[in-house]
Amino acid sequence: MPEYSPRRDDTPTFPLPHIEHTAPPRISDHPEFHSLRRAQRRFGIRATVLSVGGFLLYVLLSSFVPSVMNQPLFGRLTVGLTLGLGQFVIMGVTAWCHVRHMRTRVDPLARGLRSRLHETESRRARTAASAQGAGQPLPHGTRGFRTW
Amino acid sequence: MVTAAAIDDSSLQLTFVLFLTVVVITLFTALLTAPQRDEISEFYLGNRAMSPLRNGLAMCGDYLSAATLLGSTGLVALTGYDGLMYLGGTTVAWMMVLLLIAEPLHRTGKFTLGDTVALRLPRQQRPVRVALAVCILAIATLYLVAQLVGSVALLTQFTGVPSGTTRTLCVVVIGVFVILYASLGGMPGATVIQIIKAVMLVVGVLFTAGWVLHHFDWNPNALLERASERSGSGLSFLEPGLRYGGTVSNKLDFLSLELAIVLGLAALPHVLMRLLTPRNSGVLRSSVLWAVGLVSAVCFGAGIMGLGATALLGRDTIESTDRTGNASVLLLAHELGGSVLTALLTCLAYLTLLAVAVGLTLAAASSLAHDLYSEVIRKGRASETEELTVARLSGAVIGVLGILLALVAWGANTATLAFLAFAIAASAILPTIIYTLFWRRFSAKGALLSLYGGLLCSVLLATFSPVVSSTPGSFYPEADFAWFPLQNPGIVSIPAGFLLGWLGTVLDKGPAEDASAHEEFEVRMLVGADD
Repeated sequence: MPEYSPRRDDTPTFPLPHIEHTAPPRISDHPEFHSLRRAQRRFGIRATVLSVGGFLLYVLLSSFVPSVMNQPLFGRLTVGLTLGLGQFVIMGVTAWCHVRHMRTRVDPLARGLRSRLHETESRRARTAASAQGAGQPLPHGTRGFRTW
Repeated sequence: MVTAAAIDDSSLQLTFVLFLTVVVITLFTALLTAPQRDEISEFYLGNRAMSPLRNGLAMCGDYLSAATLLGSTGLVALTGYDGLMYLGGTTVAWMMVLLLIAEPLHRTGKFTLGDTVALRLPRQQRPVRVALAVCILAIATLYLVAQLVGSVALLTQFTGVPSGTTRTLCVVVIGVFVILYASLGGMPGATVIQIIKAVMLVVGVLFTAGWVLHHFDWNPNALLERASERSGSGLSFLEPGLRYGGTVSNKLDFLSLELAIVLGLAALPHVLMRLLTPRNSGVLRSSVLWAVGLVSAVCFGAGIMGLGATALLGRDTIESTDRTGNASVLLLAHELGGSVLTALLTCLAYLTLLAVAVGLTLAAASSLAHDLYSEVIRKGRASETEELTVARLSGAVIGVLGILLALVAWGANTATLAFLAFAIAASAILPTIIYTLFWRRFSAKGALLSLYGGLLCSVLLATFSPVVSSTPGSFYPEADFAWFPLQNPGIVSIPAGFLLGWLGTVLDKGPAEDASAHEEFEVRMLVGADD
């Protein structure tokens, strides 16, 4: 098992008196955590199915119903070529929606939970430190990555 | 294969000088920016403070290989609509990375994909890391050989079929450059060459495409009309089916290829490694957006270049120079801008395959050093200096392996090798990524089964396909053991990989992973550690 160094070295050292001895609530039980997971996953899967599946559908249509795809629209531009250009438009729109969705729906939730997580962690660190005496700033097994 | 020398001597000399200049300059920059201290994070991830645009350029540089620049442009020139559809797939592939993979992987990753999986399956991480390293090595070697073989094919455009000595020299020189960049420069060095290459690629392709359009007074309809006129197949040039039409198995073959390309990108080791380099997930998101934009622009430009090649030169000229159409870009450049533009684009093609080869070698080396050596053989007790030495050595070993294989298989079709690498990535590595990120029950046995099973399935199907035997273009034209009718195994092997992963997990009766491991993983994946 990799030993990652603690995530933050600047854990606050001041005590948090009124909540010192209650068991810290787990972040994964938090309702906001569930709505975050739902928000991120549902949009991601839908958008992927739309853009990637749409493209594969276009390939299938081109292969198996060429008569539809070969109808001319303007000049030499056929329905198939127009749909091919449309793929680029779909990609652009999907990417734009993705960015907007992440910025308005996902990022604020994640930010709120992140600050809660840091709070819980520092509280846990306090409990562990008071249980073992000083010395170990974070309990063993709190895997965190260094931020490089 | 190529029958005649396409381009004159003066542009060969100019190419040579240009290529050497660019390589020497980038090599110096790469060595100057190489990791100063023995820090593995710097070797694996490079400069993490880069702006989104530069990260996006590096991603674009990692992804677009010479096969895209020469091969798909040639495909458009010869087959019109089918070639354009193929280019579309090359672009759409990035959507899955942007929408599903990039950010969760970045939040849970450290240096390699093995780290993400180990965070999710901490107890049985060692066998999974070994399996991942095997798959990554297979993909990287195949793709590396494709790039090196491509360098010989490119040389053929100038000199006709080269003699044995010239061929060896070409592969060895390119291979040595690759090793120098990857082993000495590490990720910082690779980033330098990727960015320089990407800038040259975007500028070069858009400039040439603009020139083609200018030739037709910026009227796309005139371009399409002239292209279909001179394609030798009239209106059906702009209709599907010229390359992948006719029989049902031909059509399925194309779907299989598109499936492997669209899904395989998200599992290519050098692209995955590049996704881990940005500082935080906000920067990563903007970087991937830049990459999507840049790749779209290049693919769009390549489509116009392909149509322009047919419109200006005619199909016969292109086909008589090179049956696969790989020469079309260079012929077009010669027609438009004479030997200077030809030399520029050739230099660009060489730089492109060099840069992709560097990215691949580095990804395979980091997987060997980090997953296999440090975490499995030394069980996490290796010092950073030690791991770094192993990483540099494995870079050299993989480079030499690539050179040797490329010398043996120099006549192989570059595109076939690259497509097989994509198929392996999509059927072996992608199921593990998707299940690791999104499936609570996923177990180590499932990971092992889908990794080895997907790899084996795609390799076996390719072995028994027309690629290896039974057709005039295959490795053994005389033998006939091709019972699998498609050239691309993806349509069977990708579902097989996912199915095996599911089956392995469902049948896993061993001790389950700690529930808290998944919980912790999910918190990391969604909330993240970076702010």
